Amino acid sequence: MKRVSLGEFEEIVLLTVMLLEGNAYGVTILHQIIEQTGRSVRLNQVHASLQRLEEKGMIKSKMSAPTQERGGRRKRLFTVTFYGQKTLEEIQAVRAHLWGMISSVKNS
Amino acid sequence: MEAGKINPGPPKWARKLLRLYCDPYQLEEVEGDLEEEFIYQCKKSSVWRAQLDYTRSVLGFIKPFSNKRKSSSPSLMLSNHFKISFRQLMKHKTFAFINIFGLTLGFLCFILLSLYIHDELSFDLFHKDSARIYRVLQHEKMEDGTLRDVATTAALVGPEVAAQFPEVEATMRISSIGRLTMGNDPTSRGYEVITITDPNFFSFFDFPLLAGNPKTALVHPDVIVVSESFARKYFGATDVLGKRIWTSVTRNDKPVEFTIAGVMKDFPKNSFLRFDVIFSDSSWPSMFPWYQDLISSDWVSNTYLTFVKLRDPATQQSIEPRITQLVKDHYPATRAFKSEFTLQPLADIHLNSDNIQDSDAAPNGMNPFYLYMFAGIGFLLLLIACLNYMNLSTAAALKRTREIGTRKTLGAQRLQLISQFITDSVVISLIALMLALIIIQIVMPMVNQFTDKDLSLLDLPLSWSLSIVGILLLGAVLSAFYPAFITARVSPAEALKKEIRIGNARLPLRKMLVVAQFTISIIMISSTLIIYEQLNYMRSKDIGIETENLLVIDINSGRLRRNFESIKAEFGSPAEVLSVSTSTRVPGEWKSFHMATVRAQGEPNGKEMIYVGIDNDFFKTYDIKLKEGRNFEAGRADSSKVILTELAVKELGLTNPIGQIIEIPTVRWGGSIEPLDEVFKAEVVGIAENFHFESLRTNMKPVIFVAPNTPVQRIDYYTLKIKTNDWPGVIEKLKAINTKIDADDPLEYTFLNSRFEEFYKADAQRGQIFMTFSLVVVLIACMGLFALVSYAVEARIKEIGIRKVLGASVNNIVGMISKEFLILVIIACMFAVPVAWFFMNKWLHDFAYRINLNAGIFIIAGLIIMTIAAITVWLRTIRAATVNPVKSLRSE
Repeated sequence: MKRVSLGEFEEIVLLTVMLLEGNAYGVTILHQIIEQTGRSVRLNQVHASLQRLEEKGMIKSKMSAPTQERGGRRKRLFTVTFYGQKTLEEIQAVRAHLWGMISSVKNS
Repeated sequence: MEAGKINPGPPKWARKLLRLYCDPYQLEEVEGDLEEEFIYQCKKSSVWRAQLDYTRSVLGFIKPFSNKRKSSSPSLMLSNHFKISFRQLMKHKTFAFINIFGLTLGFLCFILLSLYIHDELSFDLFHKDSARIYRVLQHEKMEDGTLRDVATTAALVGPEVAAQFPEVEATMRISSIGRLTMGNDPTSRGYEVITITDPNFFSFFDFPLLAGNPKTALVHPDVIVVSESFARKYFGATDVLGKRIWTSVTRNDKPVEFTIAGVMKDFPKNSFLRFDVIFSDSSWPSMFPWYQDLISSDWVSNTYLTFVKLRDPATQQSIEPRITQLVKDHYPATRAFKSEFTLQPLADIHLNSDNIQDSDAAPNGMNPFYLYMFAGIGFLLLLIACLNYMNLSTAAALKRTREIGTRKTLGAQRLQLISQFITDSVVISLIALMLALIIIQIVMPMVNQFTDKDLSLLDLPLSWSLSIVGILLLGAVLSAFYPAFITARVSPAEALKKEIRIGNARLPLRKMLVVAQFTISIIMISSTLIIYEQLNYMRSKDIGIETENLLVIDINSGRLRRNFESIKAEFGSPAEVLSVSTSTRVPGEWKSFHMATVRAQGEPNGKEMIYVGIDNDFFKTYDIKLKEGRNFEAGRADSSKVILTELAVKELGLTNPIGQIIEIPTVRWGGSIEPLDEVFKAEVVGIAENFHFESLRTNMKPVIFVAPNTPVQRIDYYTLKIKTNDWPGVIEKLKAINTKIDADDPLEYTFLNSRFEEFYKADAQRGQIFMTFSLVVVLIACMGLFALVSYAVEARIKEIGIRKVLGASVNNIVGMISKEFLILVIIACMFAVPVAWFFMNKWLHDFAYRINLNAGIFIIAGLIIMTIAAITVWLRTIRAATVNPVKSLRSE
């Protein structure tokens, strides 16, 4: 199987989902991203990303219980799967390794 | 929170748009998120800003990937649709049968009519140069100002056009100079038309030769090229190249034997030219001196069909006036040139030669009006079959509301429901299409025999086949839309309840469809009735002469023509023969008439009249009464006496006609006009009753009778009045007499009434076609009605049960339900009558003598339809009405 790659924006979304552990759904993710990165992002982009991530198996979702807000509509809450977490860690490791090499080259 | 005062929501259209395309699986969360964000934005910045953001996000969602997740794969869904479709068919067998049968009939007729029309349109297109081939037409201005269009030209037009105009690649001429007897076996000889063509016939056209060299086959004298069926007829084999055949034409008083220099395939039936034997041009000058004159100097006569092959079709316009000029330049100075020449494209000949004289090479020509009519019928049939389908499946949807309700509750989208209905219709129409194709293969031989064509499904070009299948499937799919949309609109809660009405209850479309179907049915039925009535009228109308028990013998040889008085006596010798007459032409004639220009003495302008030479017994034999004066009499010098019909007297404006002198300046035969050397002056000795010489399509023409031995006289027929119960016996006797007079040429005879019947053959055939299609239409309409009544009855089965319990009789119930449907038929009558009236009036204008359209026919048509509809309704309601109410009421 082809190795699943993660886009840059997807990575941010995935990290945000992890950050929001338990309360990650469209709007919170959106706000978190805007807040933390300062990018101008719209909801549809977040949703598209979430969808792709779910297809890739990095996150899983379930519907929340209906609440009064949002006209009684339920939310789709996302959590990062083990596979997602592992992918993030892998990326982190690769980058750390590369940075490590960069600094050792510079230092020498 | 200021925004809260106005409390505006997100833009409504954006929300609707979102609902339209968003996967319902996701809709809830997406909408929720959007709304939450909207409110957040309202608080944070402005409503305007929030709305803009909302809209942009909604538009952003349109990206394909955001909508990609489907609940299941399309192929899985489709296979489920097919499964359901087949289950439906199996479950409702009557419904399925009626539906499939109706569509099959509709498709069948549509395909057959398409084949027919394609064939009619494909005439003469099989020649590879057909787009560059033209026939030369001559349009001659007559004395009375009318144009006479003739398909034949003088002998030299063709060769000179080829020689002088570089734009012309080739020309080719065909002429027919009468008939001859052929055959090596004296007991089985037959008559063949002498068709003479230029030697380049086989390179000009693409008629394939099976044996012989197409370039040289027709070059030498005394050779012929024959068709396969000719070869089989006279030789019993097709490998006849080089064989010789006896003919009745003579050179130096010896019969000429022709050598077969080529065998051609039988001409395709969609060729307007159809010959069985072609004679080489070079055979004839040595036999007939006049033929030599004709081919060497003729610029005047109308003898040859002349075909021109242009190098470039664009030059057609510019060449026409030059042909006219060419002929004008060569026209004899003694005669006035009043003609114009045009080129008629080869492909037009079959359908557009209605009023062209000498075009008798196209006996199978057809008025394009009928093509349009057939195309119209084809589409009507398809329409009626589709209406039927639409009607039935809407009715059936009633029974499927549970299925639909369940599907909806389980989350089926509208599109899925609609696609289920469309799958249904595609399945049914594919079945119907296959059945139709199978049936067509089975009935094709019969159809071909009936239409005298070689129709075959395989002959249809791909574009036609695809369009036909496309039209059929499109029709079926379109007719699935109505039931699909109407059921898709129903709310699941309603759909799950038992009693449900679909559609507008007061004026259901279904009723309108029934009205439409019956309107078409009544139009067809009344048209059929009118066609038959007109045929009947023409057959039974008193045409002024006797046609029963008259036998006409064609004179085909000089021996039969000479000494006609003694031959008359011979033919008159059997006791069954009451009288014998000889004449140049006979009523019901299909050879061209001699037409004379006749004028009263001193008048400048003449009238065109049929010019017939007759003997003393003609009036007696044909039972034509003399109004005034006398008949031609034996022993009197009547060669300068004439007898006129009443109509001729009227046209000439003669009062006291007996004894007056009339003048005949010209007599023409076929396309050729022959001015007489001097004006023929004759005295009127008798006035005959009017009668019809031709079919009742044309107006009665005036007739001038001349005695034997008058100028332009050549007897061509004996007419025998016979009274017998043993026709074969009499004919044997006549054959024996014929053999005694002329051993070489077989007796050729016709019954006069069958000749008149021949005039109406095409109409009778069209009548049959109309009748067939009417029956189909009525059948489909009735099946639709039957099914509709079935559903109505089923929906009301409880009501019927309760009514019966409360004391309603069977008749009451049948009446109650029938009434509702029969009213529809009455409404249909009201729509149909004006339409049928309009079209049939138009059709009848084709006939000089026609029936008057009256209400009677339409009443009969209406009654027929009413009866059929009533029986249909009754068949179904009686069953429901006689059911024991206990059964129907207990079914809950």
